Amino acid sequence: MNAAAGLDLSSIQDRIQTEVQRAIQRSIKGVEYFASSGPALGATPKDTLSSRGTMTLYHYRPMADEIYRVPILIVMATTNRGYILDLVPGQSFVEFLLRRGYDVYMLDWTAPKPEEKSLGIADYVLDFIPHCMRRVQEDSGEQDVSVIGYCFGGVLSLLYGSIVSDGPMKNLVLFTTPIDFREMTLFQNFSDRRYFDVDRLVDAVGNVPPEMILSSFEMLRPVSRGISQVQLWENIWNDDYVKSFRMFDRWATDTLPLAGEYFRGITKDLMWDNKLFNDTMAVGGRKALLSEIKVPVLHAVAEHDHIVPYAAARPLIAKIGSTDKEEVMLKGGHVSLVAGANAIKRLWPKLDSWLAGRST
Amino acid sequence: MTDKSTDPAALWQTMLGEMEKGFNAVATQAMASPEFSKALNQAGSVGAGAQKQVGDMMEKYLASLNLPSRGEMVDFAGRLQSMEARLDEIKAMLQQSLGTSGTVSGTTPGTAQSGADPQRPPRTKRPPSPEGEQR
Repeated sequence: MNAAAGLDLSSIQDRIQTEVQRAIQRSIKGVEYFASSGPALGATPKDTLSSRGTMTLYHYRPMADEIYRVPILIVMATTNRGYILDLVPGQSFVEFLLRRGYDVYMLDWTAPKPEEKSLGIADYVLDFIPHCMRRVQEDSGEQDVSVIGYCFGGVLSLLYGSIVSDGPMKNLVLFTTPIDFREMTLFQNFSDRRYFDVDRLVDAVGNVPPEMILSSFEMLRPVSRGISQVQLWENIWNDDYVKSFRMFDRWATDTLPLAGEYFRGITKDLMWDNKLFNDTMAVGGRKALLSEIKVPVLHAVAEHDHIVPYAAARPLIAKIGSTDKEEVMLKGGHVSLVAGANAIKRLWPKLDSWLAGRST
Repeated sequence: MTDKSTDPAALWQTMLGEMEKGFNAVATQAMASPEFSKALNQAGSVGAGAQKQVGDMMEKYLASLNLPSRGEMVDFAGRLQSMEARLDEIKAMLQQSLGTSGTVSGTTPGTAQSGADPQRPPRTKRPPSPEGEQR
């Protein structure tokens, strides 16, 4: 021990040895990384119940001998693929629900085709979601359906629930769902109505390209992508790290285009006029008031969410009309709240304990 | 064991993390300004405008060569898709009425069309008792 420096020389030697081994491993595994594909994602067995253009409804095959009476319909965010909720065995939210005895359906999205550029918010809220609810009812034989909405899937679920308030929705679970769009400050600035001509953009491009959506997400943390590449190189000797990196990186960059009219509606009604928060939102001529939602609601928010800041999600519970409603704030970010090691020990058990008693 | 304060790898990691936070904070602040929004959207609208002009030009060029335009191809693809969707529906209805099971070719890996109905477990599950016992 070098007392003056406070260092243990033998441990420094060990450390150097470890670093040399890691450097060798980096070279070997670096080659492997580029020569191999990532883990297969979204592989939990499922059946396609309905598919119409950008909309696909899946039913996951039950994994328990006995299931809860009320099926679940997961409504995925329209900007990203649903496999974030079904990564790999052991890290799949869907698999977790199936093993806990839930009957799980997912409304997932594919890239809208050029001819789908005219799809608007009303198509998503008053056509796709009701269609999937009916298909879930038919397939399960149950009248009640619990809905889980992630991010903008949560906004669509809220709009549906507030308009079809006497419908089959029995419980509503929302993950990181914004309602006060003034508080999404950077997105607000990107779409500042003084400078952003949404009509010109949509008229020019039809569907909003995924590169534009991805750039706007990445601009929220502009250096994080570069740093993550450095961290990947440092940890490339670590198989678990690389596997996890590949899963999340693939998902994050697998962004979907948005239907032009839908994007126009979001920009004007939500980003500019904040209609959902101001109780002035209407979809297809029908008023969407959050106070009309009377079913039990759980809203899970992330402490370090840089995409949906807490201030944008906070007013939701107060504005919901239900008496049985709860907000839970958990550690993590926008994605780590719902997927990965953080979610396994925090969100998933919390959701199970909340939903189980309301699913009979 | 080296502690974190003397471990160069740990120090590097900490520095990297702090650097990321610092740069992100500075960039975020800069991007929150109206000037940034103006510059961003000017650049964006120039790009979108150019894209539209090129698209219009290409359409005229293809018409002069007596080739179908993108719009016509899209319409054609739409009609094919609707025919495929109808076929899928008919297939699913047939499978349902015949009570057959198994995957249908041409579907996404890991998926099967509706009608490949595995035996459903009973919907009788109750929530775990307060002692934590799972039924």
